[in-house]
Amino acid sequence: MPNPTHLLAEVRRVEKRYGRIPALAGVDLEVRPGEVLGLLGPNGAGKTTLVKLLVGLLTPDAGEVRLFGGSPRTWRNRLGLGLTPQETGFPENLRVKEIAELVATHYENAEAVGPLLTRFALEAKANRPARALSGGEKRRLAVMLAFIGRPRLAILDEPTTGLDVGSRRRLWEEIRAFRERGQSVLLTTHYLEEVEVLADRVVILHRGRVLQEGSVDEVRARVGLKKIRFKSEAIPELPGVAKAERDGPWVTLYAADADAVIAALVRAEHPFRELEVQPVRLEEAFLLLMEDHA
Amino acid sequence: MKRFLAYLKAELLEALRTPAFLVPTLVFPSMFFLLFAAPNLKTPSAANFTALAFMIFAVFGVVFFQYGVGTAFERENPWFAHLKTMPAPPLTRPLAQVTSSLLVAFLAAFVLYLTARLSTPLAIPPDRWPKIALALLLGTVPMGLFGLAIGQTFNHRAAIPVANLIYLPLSFIGGLWMPPAFLPEWAQKISTLTPTRHWAELAWHAAVHKPWPLDSLLGLGFYTLLFGAFALWASRRPTAR
Repeated sequence: MPNPTHLLAEVRRVEKRYGRIPALAGVDLEVRPGEVLGLLGPNGAGKTTLVKLLVGLLTPDAGEVRLFGGSPRTWRNRLGLGLTPQETGFPENLRVKEIAELVATHYENAEAVGPLLTRFALEAKANRPARALSGGEKRRLAVMLAFIGRPRLAILDEPTTGLDVGSRRRLWEEIRAFRERGQSVLLTTHYLEEVEVLADRVVILHRGRVLQEGSVDEVRARVGLKKIRFKSEAIPELPGVAKAERDGPWVTLYAADADAVIAALVRAEHPFRELEVQPVRLEEAFLLLMEDHA
Repeated sequence: MKRFLAYLKAELLEALRTPAFLVPTLVFPSMFFLLFAAPNLKTPSAANFTALAFMIFAVFGVVFFQYGVGTAFERENPWFAHLKTMPAPPLTRPLAQVTSSLLVAFLAAFVLYLTARLSTPLAIPPDRWPKIALALLLGTVPMGLFGLAIGQTFNHRAAIPVANLIYLPLSFIGGLWMPPAFLPEWAQKISTLTPTRHWAELAWHAAVHKPWPLDSLLGLGFYTLLFGAFALWASRRPTAR
């Protein structure tokens, strides 16, 4: 276990409500040096509230939020922080380069703006006002701003939402390169593929609580389900099936021990065709977890 | 300091690249002056009096709208929340905004001064200007706070018309467009209660080398407290965040 004082970000028993609506109901989370932590959850799970607490825009109603060992509300504690907010906005009349330079001014050891614009494929837009950028370009600029100060921790709140496949892969490369320099990332996303590709650890948030925490493999293993799919007239009643679904001619069974269920299926002499067994991908594991807690 | 200068540069670029802001604030006061005031200003004292009133009108417009409307727009652009997460002392940006707003305000006043110099027998002795400048500056405090309160109370669509509904009548009744003695009787009765009139009185007294009247100083102090409390209340409402 890493020494807790070296944690980049720490959230302990945090509660936050908006009026009477609870957004976070006792959340624990930590970001360790050199890791990419994926924060997954559907809309309304509390991901953005958690991000706002970590960057000092909100204070918790209960519990403790620490950034580099101190309060994120104190500006000096944010010197090692870079952020891509979920909602992108820029000043109306500043040029891309001017925005980048304004952000770079905040940091002691900022990246040179010119080469960084090239890395993010924005060099042709350097002298254009931000309002002239396409949606994808705006998103790339927002992610670039998180990295500009060479932060120890970059918090990326749904960084690739609305990007085409090419731009997304390019950003993944940047996030990987960032981590290889020993810097950490807290990444919230709707794209599970993104977490599978990038994250060292995953935290699943649902309705303001942590549902699961672990490596991508651990989260998958803890669900531990295989998907058994075949064509049949009816859903068979079998032991060891966690969940059964029917979609047209297709029946899908989720089970921890696929072999045992298939053996039982054969013994029951239940008619089936085109049987296949697949591992449950994170996306599906995630959906199953949601249903269990609904 | 480098952060302050970077914010100041950003604020000035934003203001100077927005024609919808720049034309009304820099051009309209001079245009109104040329159309309605200048032809009747035959003597230096009349020209001095009216040019100073229009300079206040110009400065009022900048500080009132740059705050009033500006902060209403800011609340709706996620950029400004993002900016708040960057490592800078919390007062850096507000100070840069105030400085930028004052620089543009004094530019607007200077444009009006040049217009008056070229179109009227304006003759204010150079040694009066420091105190006149101070008078212009003092009035920006309550009116900037008033604009801030409006910007924090209304969304950006409502903030502009609401600000105009305050800006134009207050300018008229306060005697910024015509000498108070020429105002309609009803307006004369309430003119001496307005913050704009108190503001103008300070400038007029400074121009003729008279001490500042106590009631105008107290009046501006009163409005500073009033609008300051309004702004504080407005910015703490849960919806303003």
